[in-house]
Amino acid sequence: MPDTATAASGLGTYLPLVLLLLLSFGFAVFSVTIAPLVGPKRYNRQKLQPYECGIEPSPQPVAGGGRIPVKFYLTGMLFILFDIEMVFLYPYAVAADAVGMFGFIAVTIFIVAITIPYVYEWARGGLEWD
Amino acid sequence: MDLAQGGPATALGVPSIDVAAVLPLLIVFTAGAVGVLLEAVLPRNQRWPAQVALSLTSVVGAGVALAVYVTGDFESTTTFRAEEASSGALAVDTPALFLWGTLLVLGLLALLLIADRSVEPGGAFVSKAALRGGAAGGTDTLTKEQTFTGMQTEVFPLTLFALGGMMTFCAANDLLTMFIALEVLSLPLYLMCGLARRRRLISQEAAVKYFLLGAFASAFFLYGLGLLYGYAGSVKLADIAVAAQGTDRSDTLLFAGLGLLAIGLLFKGSVGPFHTWTPDVYQGAPTPVTAFMAACTKVAAFGGLLRVLTVSFESTSWEWRSVLSVVAVVSMAIGAILGLTQRDVKRMIAYSSIAHAGFLVVGAMALTEDGLSATLFYLLAYGFTTLAAFGVVSLVRDSSGEATDLSAWAGLAKRSPLVAATFTVLLLALAGIPLTSGFVGKFAVFEAALSDGMAPLVVIALVASAIAAFYYLRVVVLMYFSEPAPDGPAVTVPGVFTTTAIAVGTIATLVLGIVPTFALDWASAGGFVF
Amino acid sequence: MTPTYYLLLSALLFTIGVVGVLVRRNAIVVFMCIELMLNAVNLTLVTFARINGELDGQVMAFFVMVVAAAEVVVGLAIIMAIFKSRRSASVDDTNLLKY
Repeated sequence: MPDTATAASGLGTYLPLVLLLLLSFGFAVFSVTIAPLVGPKRYNRQKLQPYECGIEPSPQPVAGGGRIPVKFYLTGMLFILFDIEMVFLYPYAVAADAVGMFGFIAVTIFIVAITIPYVYEWARGGLEWD
Repeated sequence: MDLAQGGPATALGVPSIDVAAVLPLLIVFTAGAVGVLLEAVLPRNQRWPAQVALSLTSVVGAGVALAVYVTGDFESTTTFRAEEASSGALAVDTPALFLWGTLLVLGLLALLLIADRSVEPGGAFVSKAALRGGAAGGTDTLTKEQTFTGMQTEVFPLTLFALGGMMTFCAANDLLTMFIALEVLSLPLYLMCGLARRRRLISQEAAVKYFLLGAFASAFFLYGLGLLYGYAGSVKLADIAVAAQGTDRSDTLLFAGLGLLAIGLLFKGSVGPFHTWTPDVYQGAPTPVTAFMAACTKVAAFGGLLRVLTVSFESTSWEWRSVLSVVAVVSMAIGAILGLTQRDVKRMIAYSSIAHAGFLVVGAMALTEDGLSATLFYLLAYGFTTLAAFGVVSLVRDSSGEATDLSAWAGLAKRSPLVAATFTVLLLALAGIPLTSGFVGKFAVFEAALSDGMAPLVVIALVASAIAAFYYLRVVVLMYFSEPAPDGPAVTVPGVFTTTAIAVGTIATLVLGIVPTFALDWASAGGFVF
Repeated sequence: MTPTYYLLLSALLFTIGVVGVLVRRNAIVVFMCIELMLNAVNLTLVTFARINGELDGQVMAFFVMVVAAAEVVVGLAIIMAIFKSRRSASVDDTNLLKY
């Protein structure tokens, strides 16, 4: 049957590709496993650093025993709040012409309502990183 | 994707908003927002007077707006049948208006308790929420920062937001609005629990417990919402009711949804097996906040439960009624029996509130007009009583703050006859002795339940009230017939705010007990409309 | 694709969240499990919206996300306050309130 023949030959043309894939996969596994087994182990300070260049983050987070300053949490919390509120503006932006004046007023009220806590946060020093 | 078709070409209909109907709600929320602004712009020493003035004015103003709406064209045109406000998100019908009135009055009294600075110098709230407690328990000496007489005035906007959330919750006409309102009322309460000036660690612990369990329960509520949305294709209570009458849909979705939804609602009402947070949170929170929670949260939670059961699930009541009966029995039993073992006044009232929640479920299950009005009346009466009771609890103090241990209350009548007499009246009302509002409330609820064929449940409820009466009377006996301890607590003479709150609560308890007819008429003026 | 699979997945996620709340000891992890429950519900809502061929469920998911964010902020604030007091976020250590 010509159909199966072309199908078989079609598959056959992919055979080298598959073999190459297997070969490269095997080589990757082989080199990753063999390197620590046979290679020399001479560690020094530089090699243990997470980055080869640049500034080492200090103090180290959880693994290093240090703690992340609580300020990060505070700022993160405030960010999440104001960030997520914005989700309501996307549907409005898409449907702005359909919802008309009513939608505009509603969105304005919404923005005023989230500006108030922003003012509060600013005035009470929530944005200062002392 | 076919969902994205349509585009913005077709103009959406503009929803109509009946501003007069929702004006009380708008006033409360706007005042909350203005309160946040005041916190931002005012110097520290001006915040307290400004916040007190703003919050009291706004609650009174909302009450006036409500009264104007009820006495105005509302009555003449719609004859106590509701109209749907806010394009169907809120149903401002008669029960909702009654609950709003109840919430505003109770909220006003709670605000008075919260604002008081005479009982504890500077008020019952810490000056900075970040202040940490002392040693384990953190009971005794106050640090210098804690004695600083300022207070965290954010508590006023928080109270207003919570109050607004409760009002929305009672009137919510679809489950999504109800969920948002549930969170709007809960989130401020979680924070307010952690603001006690004394016993910081206990207060913070109460906040963590309330928060984790509350968020857990509202996740259940939300999953119930999701399943009911799948069942009915809509979260409007009326649409669910229509869908529940057809039989071609999956009952699994309906009853799983109802069950999960009920868990969230019953948790907020501190009913039965979902009560575990109640004693801890009531004990740990600052007493004015406990009063606010005990009175107003219960009103809101049962308002929501009543609406969901009456509007959406009346046609399936045969299926869920037996389950809810078990819940009611468990709640009454837990409240009555565990209440006996308590040694702390605040915990004791907390267990009493669990028992009362059981009675309220009995009323809410009746699903008749009588059941509805009886439950509404019960909520009003119970709110006044429990609020005044916590007000009295905040007065009995020793050097380390409130003396909530029952042993400290021995012989209180000899030291302060007036306070002991007031507390006795309130305890008798909680026990349901005639001539107090508690008796009328129980009578109305049990009568409605009897006429709806729930006689066994009423018998159990009567037994539970008899058991619970024992521990209320034990406190009365303790106050009148024991010798006071030599180093016992002193009764603080309260300022105007606390005095007003306790007096109004006690007088309302007596008035609703002696001439309850007018309030019963208000409560029975109409039903939920959908 | 059958939408039922998504419903099953969301039920599974919700259950994982419930079990997590019940067995985990760290307040932050308990809280993350609650968030998992909320987001499982979001999946349910979106799936039902797809089944019904309408947008309501997706809009509801927006609301749930916003509520979840507000809850995160309040919750983390409370947990941080108690952590400052007792240097521990374990829910087993919050045991002062007992009868």
